[in-house]
This record gives sequence, structure tokens and C-alpha cells, in this order.
Amino acid sequence: MVSRSQLSEFLASVERRAFKQAQFAVRDAETALDIVQDSMMRLAEKYGDRPEEELPLLFQRILQNAIRDHYRRARTRAGRVIALASLDPSDDDSADPLETLEIDAETSRFASPEGALTQTETLAHIEMALQQLPPRQREAFLLRYWEGLDIAETATVMGCTEGSVKTHCSRATHALAIALEAKGIRP
Amino acid sequence: MNLEEQFAARLCRTLDQGACDLDADIALRLQASRWRALDLRHCPREAGELALAGTTVTASRFGGRSLRTLLTLLAVLLGMGGTYYWNGFEQADINEEIDSALLADDLPPKAYLDPGFQAWLSHYAQSAR
Repeated sequence: MVSRSQLSEFLASVERRAFKQAQFAVRDAETALDIVQDSMMRLAEKYGDRPEEELPLLFQRILQNAIRDHYRRARTRAGRVIALASLDPSDDDSADPLETLEIDAETSRFASPEGALTQTETLAHIEMALQQLPPRQREAFLLRYWEGLDIAETATVMGCTEGSVKTHCSRATHALAIALEAKGIRP
Repeated sequence: MNLEEQFAARLCRTLDQGACDLDADIALRLQASRWRALDLRHCPREAGELALAGTTVTASRFGGRSLRTLLTLLAVLLGMGGTYYWNGFEQADINEEIDSALLADDLPPKAYLDPGFQAWLSHYAQSAR
């Protein structure tokens, strides 16, 4: 059973990434802060007595649900349908135009980007590219690679199959590579 | 690790840097949110106390009922014991009366235990017929 200090430590370790995840999704810092706060409160209130090892998955489920709830509310408020077809777990983004991109060996040079772009600029481009990804691709990419969940855990959080997770991750990675190359960042 | 995973790992390292370099204001608000969440934490100790309190309440409620049952049972047992004890007195009184009658008789009570006396009584009864 997680103690108060362990829960505090856990939240401190995920809060910044959670904020960035929410910000990528909703593109607004205030709303992202609200989403993260609600997620942390919900975790603490409802799952504060769970074992520590269960917290990452629980928190990610809560966070992703909060982001989806925000989308739903925004869609209702606006009275229009936001292009969130990819939020449907059964959707595999079959119309992704970047699908055919293959990352070649040159991508391995991303660790030392050449040219005049600073790291801050590079980061800004990466974040912008992430924001422009279809929501399900972005979610899969961030959960799988940034949060370090395995494929099964990612599928659980996203409520889809493991095959869909692999597809989303692959397409997201390829799309990011294309978008960054278009900005002059040759990874 | 394949190329896709290597690429993703490099992107995520840059994203980590971005998360570390959040504005101080955002970082403070996240910290405040965390503290607020911790205040709402479902506390096992408190829950345990509450659970214990519930148990205590239940136990006292159950204990009250048990006490009443126990008292009733005790009263019944006391009644049964008293009756048995009282009957013992009555039997003692009867025995006392028999003893008194025997003692008052000319014949000593020990005579009834004498086999010779029993034989004489039997012979006397037959002769009387």
C-alpha cells in the first residue's frame, strides 16, 4: 500500500510529463494544468491505497480519460464535430499519408542535430510536430516511448488492441520524422 | 532496439529536457496541485480507524444484543437452578419425615437391614395367613 510520501514522490515524477502530454493534446496551458490537477486528485482520492507499482498505469488511464473527456466537452460546447475519429479505439488511421515513410539509418544522427537550430528550437519543432499528430497516434507514442509503458500496458490505457498500439506508434514515429525533416531538422 | 525505437528514444530525451525546463509558474502550480491531491488521498490509517470505528459500533450493537441474550439465559439458568435447589429441600423434608417416623417406631431402623429379621418377617406373614 502506497504511503503519502511515496504517492507524493510518484506524482512529482510524472506531473511535468503529464502536463506536457495534456498540453500537446489540448494546446492550452491552463486547460492542461486543470486536467493534470484533476487527474492527480482523482488518483489520490480513489486509488491512494493501491500498491505503488500500480500507480503509473492507473495515473495514465486517468490522465488519458481526462483528456478524452475534455475533447468530448469541447465538441459538445462548440456544437461541431472535431476531427477525432482517431479517438475511436477501433480506428487504425488507415488514411495516414505518412504511412509509407521509412526511417533510414540517417535518423540515428538526431542525437547531434546539425545546423543553426538550438536545442530549444528543436524542442519547439518536436512539440509542434507532436501536437499535429492525430490524437491516437500521439497518445500511443507518448505512452509507449515517453512514459515507457510496454505494448500491453499501452493497449490497456488506450483501450485498444496491441496491434493497434504498434500501428499507431509506427505511424507516429514516421510522421514525426517527416515533419521534423520538413523543418530542416535532419535527425 | 530497432531504428524506430532509437528514433523515438532520442525524441523523448529532448522531450524530457523540455519537461525539465518548464516555466517556474507552471512548476509551482503543478506542485500546488500535487499537494492538493495529497490532501485528498485516501488515507489507509484513517480508513483503518474508520473501519475500526465501524467495527466498534457494530460490535457494541452486536454486544448489546448479546448482553440481553446472555442475561435472559442467565435468568433461565438461575431459575432452573433455584427450582432444582428448592426441590432438593422438599425431598430432604420428605426424607426427614420418614426418618422421624422410623426413629419414632419401636423397631430400630437397622432391623430392616438384618437378613434374619427379613426372614422372620416373611415367615410371620405366611403364618398369619
